[in-house]
Amino acid sequence: MTAWLVRRCAAAIAIVFAVVTLTFLLIHLAPGTPFVPSDERVLDPAVVDGLRRQFGLDRPLGVQYVRYVVALLHGDPGYSFSLRRPIGEVLATTVPNTLLLSGAALAIDFLLGAAIGLYQAARARHRADVVLGNATLFLYSVPTFWLGLVLVLVFGQHLAWFPVGGDRNPVLYPSLSLLGRLGDRAWHLALPALTLGLVGAGGTARFQRAALLEVAGQDFIRTARAKGLHERRIWLVHTLRNALLPLITLFGLALPFLLTGAVLIETVFSWPGMGKLAADAIFTRDYPVVTAAALLASVMVVLGSLVADVLYSVADPRIRLGKGGARA
Amino acid sequence: MRAPTKPPPPSLIGLAALVALTACTRPSTCRGDYCGTLVFAAAGQPDILLPPVSVQGLARDVYQQIFLKLADIGPSMNTLGDHDFQPQLSQRWEWETPTRLVFHLDPRARWQDGPPVTAADVAFTFQAYTDSQVHAESRPLLGGIVSVTARDSLTAVFAYRERYPEMFYAAVYHMYILPRHLLDTVPRPRWATAAFGRVPVGDGPYRFVSWTPGQSVELGADSTFFLGRPHIRRLIWQFVGDQQAAITQLVAGQGDALEFLGPLDNLRRVQQVPQLATYPYKSSAYGYMLFNVAAPLFSDRAVRRALVLALDRDRMNQSVWAGQAKVPPGPMPQLWSVWDPAIRSLPYDTAAAARLLAQRGWRAVGGGGSARTRGGQKLAIELLVPTTSAVRRQYARLIQAQLLTVGVDVKLVEIEPNVMQDRLAKGNFEAAILSYQADPSPTAGVTQHWGRGAPGNFGHYANPAFQRALEAAGHGANRPEEAARAWREAFSILNDDAPAAWLYAPNLVAAVHRRVADVQVRPDSWWALVRTWRIPADRLIDRDRVER
Amino acid sequence: MTPRHWAVLLALLAAAAIGALGLRAGTAGSDAARRFFRHPTAAFAVGVLLFFVLIAVCAPLVAPYDPSAQLEIVQLQNRPPSWMHPLGTDLYSRDLLSRLVFGARVSLAVGTLAMLVAVSLGAVVGLLAGYFRRWMDGVLMRLVDVGLAVPRIFLLLIAVSLWSQLPLAILVLTIGLTGWFATSRLVRAEVLSRRELAYVDAARALGAPPARVILRHVLPNAVAPLIVSAALGIGSVMLLEASLSFLGIGVAPPTPSWGNMIADGKEQIATAPWTTLSPGLAIVLVVMALNAVGDALRDALDPRREAT
Repeated sequence: MTAWLVRRCAAAIAIVFAVVTLTFLLIHLAPGTPFVPSDERVLDPAVVDGLRRQFGLDRPLGVQYVRYVVALLHGDPGYSFSLRRPIGEVLATTVPNTLLLSGAALAIDFLLGAAIGLYQAARARHRADVVLGNATLFLYSVPTFWLGLVLVLVFGQHLAWFPVGGDRNPVLYPSLSLLGRLGDRAWHLALPALTLGLVGAGGTARFQRAALLEVAGQDFIRTARAKGLHERRIWLVHTLRNALLPLITLFGLALPFLLTGAVLIETVFSWPGMGKLAADAIFTRDYPVVTAAALLASVMVVLGSLVADVLYSVADPRIRLGKGGARA
Repeated sequence: MRAPTKPPPPSLIGLAALVALTACTRPSTCRGDYCGTLVFAAAGQPDILLPPVSVQGLARDVYQQIFLKLADIGPSMNTLGDHDFQPQLSQRWEWETPTRLVFHLDPRARWQDGPPVTAADVAFTFQAYTDSQVHAESRPLLGGIVSVTARDSLTAVFAYRERYPEMFYAAVYHMYILPRHLLDTVPRPRWATAAFGRVPVGDGPYRFVSWTPGQSVELGADSTFFLGRPHIRRLIWQFVGDQQAAITQLVAGQGDALEFLGPLDNLRRVQQVPQLATYPYKSSAYGYMLFNVAAPLFSDRAVRRALVLALDRDRMNQSVWAGQAKVPPGPMPQLWSVWDPAIRSLPYDTAAAARLLAQRGWRAVGGGGSARTRGGQKLAIELLVPTTSAVRRQYARLIQAQLLTVGVDVKLVEIEPNVMQDRLAKGNFEAAILSYQADPSPTAGVTQHWGRGAPGNFGHYANPAFQRALEAAGHGANRPEEAARAWREAFSILNDDAPAAWLYAPNLVAAVHRRVADVQVRPDSWWALVRTWRIPADRLIDRDRVER
Repeated sequence: MTPRHWAVLLALLAAAAIGALGLRAGTAGSDAARRFFRHPTAAFAVGVLLFFVLIAVCAPLVAPYDPSAQLEIVQLQNRPPSWMHPLGTDLYSRDLLSRLVFGARVSLAVGTLAMLVAVSLGAVVGLLAGYFRRWMDGVLMRLVDVGLAVPRIFLLLIAVSLWSQLPLAILVLTIGLTGWFATSRLVRAEVLSRRELAYVDAARALGAPPARVILRHVLPNAVAPLIVSAALGIGSVMLLEASLSFLGIGVAPPTPSWGNMIADGKEQIATAPWTTLSPGLAIVLVVMALNAVGDALRDALDPRREAT
């Protein structure tokens, strides 16, 4: 097990390094120049050239790359060109925001999806199954940003049940008590998390239903039923436990996208998160932020797959990691 | 205009949430004339709150409340001489000699961390703005000033190379005076990312309170401000993703003010909300389609003129701005006094356009004349538009359709602003739709964009006659009738050469919540006069009463 | 919109319905087809897909106007649905029905072509990795890991930024080239599980060249999951195209695509919601149909599966 872990970690480091290098290369090769203000005014080229020289962008690409990697290894990801502040500071505020949103969305996704999937499997091929099946199909097929735009319009603007954007109320937040602050954050979190969660729940429900029905048809379930066990016990104890594996798979797959999968929703709801930061950085050629985001995203991905593999081996005794076991 | 409908009744859930939240706040106690919280809906976020290094309009909106200039431009927007300017940091000034200007600072002015504002700060500020390592945008505009010295702690002396009409304007308009005691320890190359820019200390009516990255910036009124305590206690800029989200914030009641509503639909949305009042003001912006005179196709003056003749600009303005914009007679916003309908400009005449093109050898082919060729080459142009401007993208599509009717094939290239900057700087384009936010001074604005070899002259336009007329207009401005004639002459020459098609100079509309009184929106920097606004005690709403 | 156009539209609707029902009746002999159509929504989904494909193919006949024609930039701007314009007009006074119909061509084409690129590349890589193993497997799978390590939209934004103006072919290629990783894993797994089977072993022992073994024995059995992922892949590419257009990248104007129709209308969603409603619903319908077909195919092509 340890040998396997060591090998995976080494591979992980190599992958992250490759991703950062590739990103660095691509974004530097992209046409366009950083330091252009977002209000699309065309700047005096002398000012832009001066800034480029100041940030070392006139050096050869190889030199820039080496300096960047060396700085990175010393723990210094550099300064953002558009936000003019240290990237560590920037990430310290945006990453928790995105994790909060994605985490809440994932919770809604899994809880709702698993519940709907379970209900559908229990009532397989009845009316409820068909209706829910179409509903989940719809949710799974709708463009997330479109759903977000509609929800903002209806619930944010027309009905005024939820705020139309941001993650807190800038006017009231400083003077609220802890409970009040939590409430304010939750109220702002509700609509974006719901949008993401609903779309995800559609997919999870379908997946869960299929997995449950597959297990339900297997021999050991029939045996349990023949033995006279109570129907509910069969479901909850036997079927569900065996259907957990697919959920773990989904969880492992979803984990990496916690960071950058919410770009569109963050844009629609003005949520100050990593996804929007990364997308804006690509649009404004903010090189250090782009590579930092790539670094972070790839670390999350390899960590996520590592965690998923470990969980797999724990949950399913048939799988043994390393020599002699099934390769993932 | 439809009658404004009643706003949707606040729903139970929203109400419950609000009650719960307010129940958890400290008791709101602010009463009287000095309360009020104004929330600005801002698309984007500021880069840095250090005036010489910032390149963004939004950052300027914020830091102009924190820092002061020596003198402020008056409501007439006149940039000539010094009689229309109002004292701000300086109490009074005089001309010791025709090229020496002496400012006497107001002794009451203090930095927000304690020390008084001195002339040494003024000298320091000038050195910073003109330092090549700071890359201040206005550095070229300060070229006429040789030096700024501090004669004593309250007297600053500006020495010029020679006299010119806008010398006073150059001295006061561009520079926000900076605190020497806080900035002289920061090496100039590091100013672009200086920590001071995230926690600025100024001498203006508002002091910096907090900046939540990606969320909001908050400023608080300085009750000891020497020119009068601001009535509105808190200013908050809330950052949203784009213009559309900003309008939604406004309409939903979460924002109080927005300086630019944009195209017609937004105006309609806002007008349907009874608690918002709209304030039209003469905009300092204008949009135009620039031709690259150095490109082979556009080196031919007749082709440029033909394209301008083929555009029905009035109709396009109707479509995009619903008549809330005029076709400028030249590269000028409505704000400038040189706006003169008597300037000779090209009309809308598709027949003349077709004739001109045919004359230059571009024969119409195919049925309906929807294409033209000359020597086997198709008449096609590439038009650059930035993806971030909804208005200009709209114009681009309208222009594409209109030019098709005279046989010009327009390929729209929608690119990011950063790519636009690159291509314009390198001259790697044929035509582009640009818009320009002008300073109050026509001289600087026109010279920067149309003067021979100027940094902003991306189309490489050059005409000695125009250059001479421009110089005469800029320097002979001491006699107004001569100046007006010179400007008319210069613009007429420019229009004859048609280096660009002037598209729109909009009447901008700002929206501010009705409860705010004494609202004045200044055309060159809209929120400059916020410290004179107030919210009467009987119109305070919940967020006004919340104290920090 | 003239009666002639309504007639064409109805005719296409009828043709799609008849086509779907006819397909169900005509393939009743095949086991797989029977399993396919046992799904409650399979026939309807096939009908929907047929309808949109027919509309895309017959676009010039259905569309009453030129999709790029700006009819009257002042009077006909943002008009709600009416008899003359059944889906309304957009900000540039273009007829939305015509744009939707021509947009179907672009969106469906982009979806199909990008999916083909992704699936072919994924299949080839998966086959090579699974069959030859050893160093080729190691290298290719590490490449897949790198590709999966960056979220797709992030990768797309960076790749697309390399061109200042994106030609349609490059858009299709880029979407395809960023979407093959999962497919390659799938195919590799299938290949791995089959290459040890007796008949494959026998073929190799008899001296058959690797290409022949792959093509005759291994590939046909790996085809089933490929087809399913192809059907689902078209749907996800269409959603991706819409997302990219929303972010400002995508099909260049004035060519309509469903994605850039939504992007064009997103600024008027409060005052003119029909500009985003019709392309949005079209995308939802087609993607739903594709997902339903994918599900049904999964059951039809894999006889070991218990019908769900």
